[in-house]
Amino acid sequence: MGSTEGLAEWVRRAASGETSAFSELYRRTRPLVARLMAGFAPLDSDEVEDVIQETFVRAFRALPRLKEAGAFEAWLLSIARNRARTRLERKASLRRLEDDISDPEPETVPALPEALQLERDIEVVRQLISELPDGEEKRTVQLFYIEGELSAREIAEQLGVGKSAVTMRLERFRGRIKRELLRRVLAGRWE
Amino acid sequence: MRHLDDEALSALARREPEAVKYFREHLATACEACEGFLATHSGPDVLDGQVDAVLLALAPPRTDAPLDEVGFARVRRELRKPHLDTRRWGLIAGAVAAGLLAIIVVPRLRQGGSGVELGPASQESGVKGQVGRIALELAVVAKGSDGALRRLDPDTLVDSDDVLLLRYHATEAGTALLFQRRADEEPQLLGTFELEAGTHDLRGPQGLSGVSLEGESGPLTLWLAASPAGLEPSPDEVKRVLVGEGERWEQGTLAVTRFDVRVRSGQNPR
Repeated sequence: MGSTEGLAEWVRRAASGETSAFSELYRRTRPLVARLMAGFAPLDSDEVEDVIQETFVRAFRALPRLKEAGAFEAWLLSIARNRARTRLERKASLRRLEDDISDPEPETVPALPEALQLERDIEVVRQLISELPDGEEKRTVQLFYIEGELSAREIAEQLGVGKSAVTMRLERFRGRIKRELLRRVLAGRWE
Repeated sequence: MRHLDDEALSALARREPEAVKYFREHLATACEACEGFLATHSGPDVLDGQVDAVLLALAPPRTDAPLDEVGFARVRRELRKPHLDTRRWGLIAGAVAAGLLAIIVVPRLRQGGSGVELGPASQESGVKGQVGRIALELAVVAKGSDGALRRLDPDTLVDSDDVLLLRYHATEAGTALLFQRRADEEPQLLGTFELEAGTHDLRGPQGLSGVSLEGESGPLTLWLAASPAGLEPSPDEVKRVLVGEGERWEQGTLAVTRFDVRVRSGQNPR
């Protein structure tokens, strides 16, 4: 998180048309997007590459309209998640080809809390993980988020469960974290 | 009791006081319905990205990764395509493309009477040729005798004890022929490879394929020539195309990327 301001500076430079800033943004943030994609077990490696590419194409196209340079990382990850979900829903025939989950409009992305707040959020999440009852969900969350090495597919293999079971566990846990962060946002960050 | 739904999420995104007040209290305790909804729906704002940023920050920090050049080349290529967005973006995308030439292993490509699409750089320079069905890009990494890997730019000086590893991006599956040429000699076929769509290391049946430079010195050219499965030309036909003697490729199915290095012999100091 300490590199947030450094990233924002590259965002500003890219938005002003500085060529090298785009490759630097890509270099810095691609691993994060790829790691996010590693949680979508039903996507194969080619689909993951396609989603990563689509994410950056969308983000770079819209970058000059991004009002808050400091929100780039969260905005990029939001786009990536939307692209992955759209891909999965189309794959499962739940979504028509022309239908698309819309990404957050760059003009309306608000300023995000400072790094200190994010550090607090991380501590809250660590606490929530430690409070999870011992079991498969906790093990899955630890392997994917705390150890951060294995993909959801690899975790499924290691735990001897289906790919979608791992993705569902991660999504369920993530829903809990999202509720907690939303509550915190509602409790003060917008007021 | 109200739970989160599309309408409530929109109200929260608009910061409607009543919705904010209600859900601030409601979400203070675990709610399976709301958590399930949040897990499968985007927003409000970039909350999803914030959540993912926090979660991904839990893992130990990783070492600084080098630029994934092939991946960035794909992004750059997409950005070059016409898009309904602003004229301003077009200028920026162009700047990205131009800047990337300095760092990406863009194969130096040649075109002649063959009419063969020789890869992305010919598009950048405005040369029009028949468009092959496979678009092919190539990145080359040198593996030194100490096992260290380093990315190569075209025309880089390499050592004779290096091994060159090739990574390609192909838009379609197909078959590729790998040729090398020393100085002014004839191109020499090194092998035939099955290509998969996407980004992959060049692999033969025995595994990862490397080009040994042992015993080489001076300029060396590598070509990877790809065609869709079932449309493979013979090695001799491809060879003629590589040296500019081929006849016009009526089907326009061959894509060729070229990479040049200069090899210094092992006796010379680095």
